[in-house]
Amino acid sequence: MNFFKIVTVSICVLLLAAFPLAAGGSGDTADTISFAGSGGYPPFNFMLDSGDIDGFDVDVAKEIAKRMGKELKYVTTSWDGIIEGLRAGRYDGILGSMGITDARLEIVDFSTPYYYSGPQLIVRKDSGISSIEDLDKSNNVALATGTTFADDAEKYGVTPKFYEDDNQTLMELINGRVDGVLTDRIVGLNAMNKMKGGDKLTLAGSVLRTEKMGVAFKKNSPLTAEVNKILEDMRADGTMTAISNKWFPGQDITVE
Amino acid sequence: MEGFFPWDFTVVPAKFHLFASAAGYTLYITTLGILAGIITGLVVALAKISKRKALNKLASVYIFVIRGTPLLLQLFIIYYGMTAIVTVPPLASAVIALGIHNGAYIAEIFRGAIQSIDYGQMEAARSLGMTRGRAMRRIVLPQAFKRAVPPLGNQFIIALKDSSLASTIAVPELLLRGRQMGSSSFMYMEMLVIVAIWYLLMTGVLSYVIHRVETRLKVSDRG
Repeated sequence: MNFFKIVTVSICVLLLAAFPLAAGGSGDTADTISFAGSGGYPPFNFMLDSGDIDGFDVDVAKEIAKRMGKELKYVTTSWDGIIEGLRAGRYDGILGSMGITDARLEIVDFSTPYYYSGPQLIVRKDSGISSIEDLDKSNNVALATGTTFADDAEKYGVTPKFYEDDNQTLMELINGRVDGVLTDRIVGLNAMNKMKGGDKLTLAGSVLRTEKMGVAFKKNSPLTAEVNKILEDMRADGTMTAISNKWFPGQDITVE
Repeated sequence: MEGFFPWDFTVVPAKFHLFASAAGYTLYITTLGILAGIITGLVVALAKISKRKALNKLASVYIFVIRGTPLLLQLFIIYYGMTAIVTVPPLASAVIALGIHNGAYIAEIFRGAIQSIDYGQMEAARSLGMTRGRAMRRIVLPQAFKRAVPPLGNQFIIALKDSSLASTIAVPELLLRGRQMGSSSFMYMEMLVIVAIWYLLMTGVLSYVIHRVETRLKVSDRG
């Protein structure tokens, strides 16, 4: 055995095994459309045991793809790099519960809102905190990196602590390392019902503001207008309400 | 006792197999990354000990830059930064990053091994009429390779664990899979434990293989 044998074998194996590497470069092909989400944001987009992604966002994405006559590719990627991935052309749009904000509008375009929610403060039941006004700079509030909730934390003068996703933020709250969690109201409610120890938590006050969720596209992409038209049809023919009903029985989150 | 022990590890055996394809991705990017690293490593090591000043400098700069920056940063630069020129797919980005990163370390391992061979070996080979290149190939490198095996094995295990950084660029490998399954099922810790077991299985097998190779080389030393 010597170096050259090893290197020759390395080169051969590398060449043979490298074919799949070309796959998955960018989503843009004629008969597929790709939307991205974090894949860890139940019940909007989350992973099933099979590895497939399901949720409210995915159902909306499927319907949009169907009406465009294209096949849907739902891509999952980490939330804090998701806009960079869109700008780099790794997928056609972000359909993953992204709030429409001025800061984001400077970089990407958004469709009209496809559902409405808002940031909510979650605390431990035994904390005695009844609204975000009860907190100040000495209180740590956990939130997910790259979300709009950082602005809320700043506005209300609490100290934000950043985590990868809301599973971690809520675990920190249950474990008592932070005083509160700022997250989307619907996501928070869902997590409190399903998580172990979630029964120790409660919502403090009402939503801090209304947040409008849109589908993000690259600036000046023709897709924005096309998807706006489809969303309008889906609202008009009751499809949006039906999808909302499937995930949130008796509740229509698609109207303001 | 729920407050003290909020996890339900009984799901671990039931969900264990769901991570097989993710483990496949981990194994795939690690293997290709290491192979690319070996090729890069040998080229850079030979450049570094070459008598040509320019090659020498080039190899030094390569090792300085790659060893001096975090792998995670290199991964981001390849994945996000190169898109102006070419959009490298996630899987390929991971392999390239692991390849160039391990290449720098393996180059140093190879260089150290080659320089550890007594210079008398080279002189003896030259005095028998071999050219410098031939002496390097036939006399020095085979001996150096044996000395490179233990640190190489160590580097392979590091590379296997480093491949988890690819979770940040949408490669559906073990860690990403664990985090997504964890977030989706609200059983974060349980899924991370499954991921840990998969890693231990793979590093365990790798350690065993490396140990066997070392033992065999020792035997051939005596012969």
